[in-house]
Amino acid sequence: MAGSATHLNCSALMPTASVPSHGPRPPRISVLSLSIPVAMGYVPLGMVFGFLFVQAGASWWLALLASIFVFAGAAQFMMIPMLGLGLPVASIALATLVVNLRHVFYGLSLLNRLPAQPWARWYLVFALTDETYSVLTTLPPGTSTRQMVAVALLNQGWWVLGTLLGALIGTQAQVPLLGLDFALAALFAVLAVEQWRSADTPAPLWVAVLSYAVAQAVAPQQALLIAIGLSVLAGLVWPRTSPREAAP
Amino acid sequence: MIDTPYALGVLAAMALVTFGLRALPFLAARFLQSHPLVQRLGRFLPLAIMTLLLLHTLVGSARQNPSGPWAELAAVTAVVLLQWWRRHALLSILAGTALYVLLRNPGLAG
Repeated sequence: MAGSATHLNCSALMPTASVPSHGPRPPRISVLSLSIPVAMGYVPLGMVFGFLFVQAGASWWLALLASIFVFAGAAQFMMIPMLGLGLPVASIALATLVVNLRHVFYGLSLLNRLPAQPWARWYLVFALTDETYSVLTTLPPGTSTRQMVAVALLNQGWWVLGTLLGALIGTQAQVPLLGLDFALAALFAVLAVEQWRSADTPAPLWVAVLSYAVAQAVAPQQALLIAIGLSVLAGLVWPRTSPREAAP
Repeated sequence: MIDTPYALGVLAAMALVTFGLRALPFLAARFLQSHPLVQRLGRFLPLAIMTLLLLHTLVGSARQNPSGPWAELAAVTAVVLLQWWRRHALLSILAGTALYVLLRNPGLAG
């Protein structure tokens, strides 16, 4: 379907963000104000997912289950046509693995930041979409467990709400305005600016741009995953230039 | 019509795979935390990944936009400049999104 590539892109965004907490502290940002832009992306995108899923011939409550228990935008969009074709469970699982592989890297930068309480910790791990990752990494160190869980729950709530609306509206769904989901791009832009300001060096930004250009040229279908792989490689061999690295 | 037990099986498999991927670094945390390369990645990756997510979203939007990437470029430039200048996340996001919606829905401007 025409829109599927874009949907994949959007969902690819969902699961991750990492945050450096060095350098000047970013200004305090409230949980709700970080969740609102996510809502502006998740509610319309969730509606599109719920709508397409029901259109493909599945029950509305299955759409809801997917958004509650899978909670991975790109993979959920990817699954719709595969489900419609009745592909084997194993091949859909494999496709999910490829689409969501980037999430492995997201956790790396959060290892020391998630709360120790098991329920809070494992819920946050489960809910680690691109957007939630971005928001979590932006919260100042010392943010309470309740606030971290609240932001993740709010974000998933928006996604589930959108899914429910889209599934119920079914065939009549017509998103009245084009481009509301640009809020997600704007959120990433804001977070990239804040990461840039607090980074020791802008090198990761240029590495990312270059990696993405290469990945688009080589394999546009898997551009994000390949670009992340290239950036990881670059990060591993990058010379330590940061004076903070030696500091206690 | 999609068979419900089949769909439930697919959703269960997808949920397991997705959670497994997200949990992997935490399960291996003790090993990873003691590894200096991992520490270095934790410092390098956030800006790189955020940049990649931004690029990927923009490319996705631009591909869906029949009139080319100009609306995306204009809106993202506005967001970056606003954020650099005012450092007000919600303001930057709302203004950038409003600009983008205006550019994509020419009827709105009258």
